[in-house]
Amino acid sequence: MDAIIIENISKAYSKIPAVSDVSLSVRPGELFGLIGPDGAGKTTLFKMLVTLLLPDKGRATVAGRDVVKDYKALRQLVGYMPGRFSLYPDLSVEENLSFFATVFGTTIKENYHLIQEIYVQLEPFKNRRAGQLSGGMKQKLALCCALIHKPEVLFLDEPTTGVDAVSRKEFWDMLRKLNERGLTTLVSTPYMDEASRCDRIAFMQTGKILAVDQPVAITSRFKKRLYAVRAADTYQLIHDLREAPFTESCYAFGEFLHLTVKSNEGSEQQIGRFLQEKNHRNIEIHAIQPGIEDTFMALMTQTQPTA
Amino acid sequence: MNRIRYMVEKEIQQLRRNPVLLRIMIAAPIMQLILLSYAANYEVKNLNIAVVDGDHTTYSQRLVSKFRYLDNFKMTGYLPGDKQARQALLAGDADLVLVIPPHFERDLEKEGNTSVQLLLNAIDGSKAGIANGYATAIVRDFNSDIIAETKVVTPGVVPQLDIENQYWYNPKLEYKTFMVPGVLFELLLLVGGLVSALNIVREKEIGTMEQLNVTPIRKHEFIIGKSIPFVVIGLVLFTIGLLLGRFLFQVPLVGSVALMYVFAVLFLILCVGLGLLISTLAENQQQALFVSFFLLVLFILLSGLFASTENMPVWAQWLNVINPLKYIIEVGRNVMLKGSTFADVSRQFGALAGMAIGLLLLASWRYRKTV
Repeated sequence: MDAIIIENISKAYSKIPAVSDVSLSVRPGELFGLIGPDGAGKTTLFKMLVTLLLPDKGRATVAGRDVVKDYKALRQLVGYMPGRFSLYPDLSVEENLSFFATVFGTTIKENYHLIQEIYVQLEPFKNRRAGQLSGGMKQKLALCCALIHKPEVLFLDEPTTGVDAVSRKEFWDMLRKLNERGLTTLVSTPYMDEASRCDRIAFMQTGKILAVDQPVAITSRFKKRLYAVRAADTYQLIHDLREAPFTESCYAFGEFLHLTVKSNEGSEQQIGRFLQEKNHRNIEIHAIQPGIEDTFMALMTQTQPTA
Repeated sequence: MNRIRYMVEKEIQQLRRNPVLLRIMIAAPIMQLILLSYAANYEVKNLNIAVVDGDHTTYSQRLVSKFRYLDNFKMTGYLPGDKQARQALLAGDADLVLVIPPHFERDLEKEGNTSVQLLLNAIDGSKAGIANGYATAIVRDFNSDIIAETKVVTPGVVPQLDIENQYWYNPKLEYKTFMVPGVLFELLLLVGGLVSALNIVREKEIGTMEQLNVTPIRKHEFIIGKSIPFVVIGLVLFTIGLLLGRFLFQVPLVGSVALMYVFAVLFLILCVGLGLLISTLAENQQQALFVSFFLLVLFILLSGLFASTENMPVWAQWLNVINPLKYIIEVGRNVMLKGSTFADVSRQFGALAGMAIGLLLLASWRYRKTV
């Protein structure tokens, strides 16, 4: 049976829907990523799964327990790390960890093997107050506190938001290692580039799941031709390309623009000619393979034609 | 059971990390006890009195001289007429003006009666009332002097009632004796209600409440774990206050100390219940602070700490039915000063216990709804 099963779950805050009719399942031992921009409903979905919010409609089970009926049993089985640092800033690293171990009826010693690799980095600061740790260290402590009771399913809500690039990479390496031990993990992130580190991902936008697949497979849903285009005047370039007859969509991606063209139209030569007519200089055009972000953008515009 | 212990241990660790708060929690209420008991005082001294003497006779001089050499009055001098008297009151130069009419002595001797006028600045009504009381007593005294002198002229028995006052339970009418038992419990409301509300709302603010909610900690474990430290701190405070009251202020402690502690514990549980309820309603510390402050002031002003509750309007007396401070102050005064037993204050015990249970039930119901 799947570790997380979500069936047609909905939640609204005073009539404003946050999660609408979401169905999803996560297999045991999977590292599953929930990708979506801020306000997509990721946190609301997480809170329903960890028994902090009651769904308006639909049902969900985590580790075989219903999130509403069996919430007491379930709390012992899930680890939850909220997006915001939520430990006691006035207690030391060790005191925080020890407190959360004891309320789950265990001790640091008993489950030390679960957190050892992460905790060794924290150990030099174990007497420091949690509020005085750096951002990356806070995340590690929070992860330790979420793991100390040996959960079956781990929920991480935007664990890398506001963390520097090196710490982000380290954090994902840690998640992968935990996952190799068989821990089912659901992690949410607004960063598309982190999607490739997951076994499977789900795109979430305005309370709905747009697509669920492996990161590699999901890009194959992108059927249209995609070009990276660059010229001297980027601002004018994006303006002209969006006006062009062959253009379906055009977004800025770093120093290149990603241009999607309508089917049967827009060969490399056609684009080149069009840009020369508009007096662009230093024109570069390559056909490229779509990335996860391109796919997300395309899926987003499909569901919301006006966006 | 163990989880309650861990909650309490955690609270103690946090309190130790915040020694300033701990010191404020103990020191500030004690300061308040000392200041309120010393400073708030109904005894009125140094009232400025001016005189408009329209008679200038021996009798009028004798009446005026009775106001001299008293602690309560300070003579500011004579004024020529009513107009100046009103000006003196308006300018605040005089708190009261004694107006003696012309022919004061002649009327007294010929007609056997006359009148004097007292003009009082009554902005502070209770002060004016007391000043009026003092002045009336002096005039009455003067009156009986005159009667005694004229008695020689008309022999025979003049029927006279002598009233001798005996003040029970507070024989010297000490204001401190009245205040200390009240303030003692008012302080517990501060620590038990306000500080506990802020403490729990803080857990909400920093997100640890949410983190605790995904652990197996049960609601009653959370509530009991949160209450114990505040009840203990409250009792320490209560003990210090009781010792100060007994030995510094010499307030009698006639009744049972154990009974006082029974009520202190009950009242603290009630206060923590109130704090808990406020914390479920408030989203942040500002909201909690304002709600607690509003209730605190309302409770204190209506409680009878400063003014007798029996003289309040009927609606205020109805409000007082749910004012825990009113009951506990009654208990404090009656047990400390009169030596009331549990049977005497069982009505208050019932009311307080009922409110404590009600508040805790309401708080845990609200707590469930917000999760």
